[in-house]
Amino acid sequence: MASNSSISCYHCGEDVPKNLNLEVQILGQKRPMCCQGCFAVANTIIESGLSDYYKHRTAIGPSGAQLVPEELEKLTQYDNLDIQAEFVADSGEYKEVLLCVEGIACAACAWLIEKQIGNQDGVLRLNVNSTTQRANLHWDPTKLELSQILQDFQNLGYQALPFQTDQQEAFYKKTYRQHLTRLGVAGLATMQVMMFAFALYGDFFGEMDAQFIGYFRWVSLLMATPVLLYSAQPFYVSAYRALRSGSLNMDLPVSIALLGAYSASLYATVQGHGEVYFESVSMFTFLLLLGRLLELRARRKASESSTNLLKLIPKVANRLDTSGNIEVIACKLLKVGDIVRVRLGETVSADGIIKEGHCSIDESMLNGESLPLPKTVGDQVFAGSINHGQSIDIQVVAAQQQTFIAQILRLQEQAHNDKASVASLADTVSRYFVAGLLVIASLCYGYWSIYSPDDAFWITLAVLVATCPCALSLATPAALTIATQRLSKHGVLVKTPHVLESLAALNTIVSDKTGTLTLGQLELCCDHSLSSQDLKHLSIACSMEARSLHPIALAFTKASKQYQLSAIKFDSISEHSGQGLQAYLDNDEYRLGSAHFCHVRPSPRDTMIEIVLCCNGTLLGRYYFKDQLKQDAIEFSQYLKQRNIELQMLSGDTSSQVFSYAKLLDISVVKAGAMPKQKLEYVNELQLKNHKLMMLGDGVNDGPVLSAANLSMAMSHGTDLAKTSADSILLGDRLMPIAKAIETSIFCKKIIRQNMTWAIGYNVLILPLAATGNITPYIAALGMSLSSLIVLSNSLRLNKH
Amino acid sequence: MSIIFVLIPIALIFVAIAIFVFIWAVRSEQFDDLDRQGSNILFDEDQPPLTKKHSTKSDDEL
Repeated sequence: MASNSSISCYHCGEDVPKNLNLEVQILGQKRPMCCQGCFAVANTIIESGLSDYYKHRTAIGPSGAQLVPEELEKLTQYDNLDIQAEFVADSGEYKEVLLCVEGIACAACAWLIEKQIGNQDGVLRLNVNSTTQRANLHWDPTKLELSQILQDFQNLGYQALPFQTDQQEAFYKKTYRQHLTRLGVAGLATMQVMMFAFALYGDFFGEMDAQFIGYFRWVSLLMATPVLLYSAQPFYVSAYRALRSGSLNMDLPVSIALLGAYSASLYATVQGHGEVYFESVSMFTFLLLLGRLLELRARRKASESSTNLLKLIPKVANRLDTSGNIEVIACKLLKVGDIVRVRLGETVSADGIIKEGHCSIDESMLNGESLPLPKTVGDQVFAGSINHGQSIDIQVVAAQQQTFIAQILRLQEQAHNDKASVASLADTVSRYFVAGLLVIASLCYGYWSIYSPDDAFWITLAVLVATCPCALSLATPAALTIATQRLSKHGVLVKTPHVLESLAALNTIVSDKTGTLTLGQLELCCDHSLSSQDLKHLSIACSMEARSLHPIALAFTKASKQYQLSAIKFDSISEHSGQGLQAYLDNDEYRLGSAHFCHVRPSPRDTMIEIVLCCNGTLLGRYYFKDQLKQDAIEFSQYLKQRNIELQMLSGDTSSQVFSYAKLLDISVVKAGAMPKQKLEYVNELQLKNHKLMMLGDGVNDGPVLSAANLSMAMSHGTDLAKTSADSILLGDRLMPIAKAIETSIFCKKIIRQNMTWAIGYNVLILPLAATGNITPYIAALGMSLSSLIVLSNSLRLNKH
Repeated sequence: MSIIFVLIPIALIFVAIAIFVFIWAVRSEQFDDLDRQGSNILFDEDQPPLTKKHSTKSDDEL
């Protein structure tokens, strides 16, 4: 299609298919729509009188895909009271829930949702935050069901689901608000104090009435007091905590300088002679708080984006009662001995033994096994695995805390508690700095109290104020903040502050295989061009597999799309669990499955999975499948080689495939068939040997080891457990963002070093001046703000890298 | 120049008011979504009665 003839949808921006003639009158013009979904959404918006949305939006809207009936049915599971107990707060009059809304692109979306859904009867309060893509909803359960509201979101083209908030985030939110208030107070007060300070500086160059000087000092004192008592509190608390645990941190000299300068200025104001440092106290607090606030904001944003990934999917089970009726209940109400039906595509809700039926079970998230296992009556299935075959009835043998997955969870918690904290560069530097500073200050006091006892106190104070580590305290947070933001843009969400520093020191990466280095999906390997005969056979195979959810069937479906094959309708299709499919068409019998199943000789190729198609016993074709490496996996491993970082593979998979991938990626250290506990032990052992390692993973079985590793990264499509355990999350299907992250972290480390060198250099320069008594308050304030500015602008260079 | 003894306290009162307004703004979550508040003023709060009728109709359709 010629590019100039393509029209894009007015609502979602996608290309409008040819021959489709859907239009909606918006803002006085007929606008083209790409699908029924967008058409419906646009009509709803216009008919509700909300066309302002189109006028003011700054980004295009989400595509209006409609839900299929099964998905709608799933939404009603959120109305189950036992399920709601996990995420809904009930105040008696109304219920409250926090929703993560996908598709919010700009402020207009938030307005649209609030107008359209918030005005409904039964919705008491709806507050949409377009930055975090979340909505806070209060509703009246007697008038509206939650699922109805969720469906209304869907009708506007947004997908809203409850999600799991974590404690860390609640903590960030509270601290952020407190810091913001403190910063506001410090900022407003600093403006005033600086104004008077400039008037007082004037006194150095000219004459000023003594009564005005006294007056200005008193007013400055009044304004600086809330800054010292309220805004600067976090520094005292942090310094006190460090002292109590027997260490020194950067907040200690900060606190000493602040309190010292303030009390000396207070004394000078009351006595009417001596220097006042109120402007230094206020500005210093303001600058430091600003640095901390920005750092906190970047961390909070990353943490919010990562918790948004934790969708709360209702955990329900279909319990069979004695008369064989199905009852949908919350998983946590299951008891040992219950009979549960697990249908095609559903997740097994508790550990159990199959009582009826046979199926193939995908346990890849639990043990890294890449192919589903055939299971039949008497076999054990585990909670968290997915049924790819026909529906089965299981008898629960372990529910809740006793399940295999719960054991992994406990292992993960334990690993998390045992994790040693990493000392940051800033901590180490500050320890020496503080010690040095205190020694110099006391030497200075000792010297001057012998030679000029009157000046001793003032000069020591000037030393403390002038060397106050403002720039040094900003050196790390400023660089980390900008680097964190950059990583978010590249698709790496950083959850904990030590990630960047640890990344720069990395020498080993230990990676899971399935879903981490590979895509976790099988693909049809085709190394020669297909004749029309081959295509015909392939379309037979694809049609046979069309209804199955087995990974091999999905690979066939993908191939059928790729070659644009047409579907064939069979008279009957039956599945032989773990072996293959059998279909009939016009008295011909087709078999698709293992070579053994089709009664032909296997001809294995490499480590690929072989599937054979035959008709009435004659061979029609052989198909080979393989889990493909991620697109840039080889590039990634070459990059690591170049950087001298060793890549190791630690997989739960037992098949020989592990080694064939290792060969492709040139990995020499491979450990296959590792259980979660063995993975944990292996990584702990490496860490004891002083390997600076990063763990990559995505499955439930990776949870404990992700928690234990000094540095860990989970894939965004991975399990919730992996995402909550890891320090950082990789978005998307590519691995090279990790390389970008390593580059950024190394550059960030360089910037931090430069910042520190400059900050310490400045302090060394100013020290002799202060110690000899040549520093006046305005020079101290000027030097401090200049050095802080230099540190900040140096950190901004990270953005241009 | 003695007017300054009156003017500065007045200025301080304004600063105090500003601080309280700021604290109020933080508490009422106005800083939680900075993208949003900036463009809020663009949207019309009042809808013409004619579209109100449409809105009930579309609710029925949903």
